[in-house]
Amino acid sequence: MYNFLQRLGGITSFAMSTLMALLVVISLTTPFLPSNPTHEVTLHDVRTTTGRMVDPADRTSRTSEYARLTFDVDADLTSMFNWNTKLLFAYITADYESPGFDTNRVVIWDRIIRTKRQAKLRLRKHHNKYFLRNYAKTFDGVANANLTLHINPVPYVGIMYDKPMVAIPLTIPRAEKARA
Amino acid sequence: MEFLSQAKKFGVRSLLLQGLTFLSVLTSAFMIWKGLSLFTNSESPVVVVLSGSMKPAYDRGDILFLHNGFSPIEVGEVVVYKLNDKPIPIVHRVMKVHTESESGEQYLLTKGDNNNADDRGLYNPGQMWIQRNEIIGRVKGFVPYAGMGTIWMNDYPYLKSVLLGTLCVLSLFSND
Repeated sequence: MYNFLQRLGGITSFAMSTLMALLVVISLTTPFLPSNPTHEVTLHDVRTTTGRMVDPADRTSRTSEYARLTFDVDADLTSMFNWNTKLLFAYITADYESPGFDTNRVVIWDRIIRTKRQAKLRLRKHHNKYFLRNYAKTFDGVANANLTLHINPVPYVGIMYDKPMVAIPLTIPRAEKARA
Repeated sequence: MEFLSQAKKFGVRSLLLQGLTFLSVLTSAFMIWKGLSLFTNSESPVVVVLSGSMKPAYDRGDILFLHNGFSPIEVGEVVVYKLNDKPIPIVHRVMKVHTESESGEQYLLTKGDNNNADDRGLYNPGQMWIQRNEIIGRVKGFVPYAGMGTIWMNDYPYLKSVLLGTLCVLSLFSND
């Protein structure tokens, strides 16, 4: 009645359709899986110096102001690991307003968390991984700054979403009298 | 020979009808693709990851579904961007966003998760930031390794000819 190739074709096309439908259902339901992460970020210290980093591609780097932060993070993200979690991307951003610029958001630290064991974060007196400098050369006029911890779960398959967590206020001081 | 005798049996009209059906399938596929591009405001709403610079999140061969939209880019989003003069799109995460008040112009800096340095080395010489219009889309969803076929065909071009050849041979020998 039906030859082998026809049967194979029918099975394959049905399998593909079912697989695609399954992937869509998984993608749509994963963000709604319950999770209960706890998080706490404490800021210790912010220090600003000038000319911290010399970047040969950036002529302004030698005389720009760079802020160096020291912070603690206490977080328990194990409940965010469900069966569809490949990894968690945790990052801390410094958000602020500055003259001429409505929003400035700079990632100062990030970490990839791959297992449940690594998901219990207990960082003490960490420094920012990435240099914090303003688009302009100084932090003059920078206001309403805060530090926010975000978690971006990356699923094995599905939709990407971001969970911002705690936001704590931050003050970025101007550098001490800069060398001329 | 068999094809010509079949054609004479069915007549020119039936041949034209078959051609028309074939063309309408092609054009509907094209319309769906372009409609998706319009809806997502992205020139290429489905891309395949070519490099390993976003490991372990995205590996070579992953298919990414992009949605650009019109809203400003947020920090932490994974975006695909194509520099104005370079032909290859790059999938990386946005590390810095500075949005101007007056013009709404955004200055973005990106970095691959698996890279140590940010992307300034990849930008055009003298370019410190990328603009909103260089972003093709933000990654909204993905399917792992589903695009490995595209990567194999890029890396081994003879595979393309082999595939085309097999399809031609199969279609000649099938009954319909």
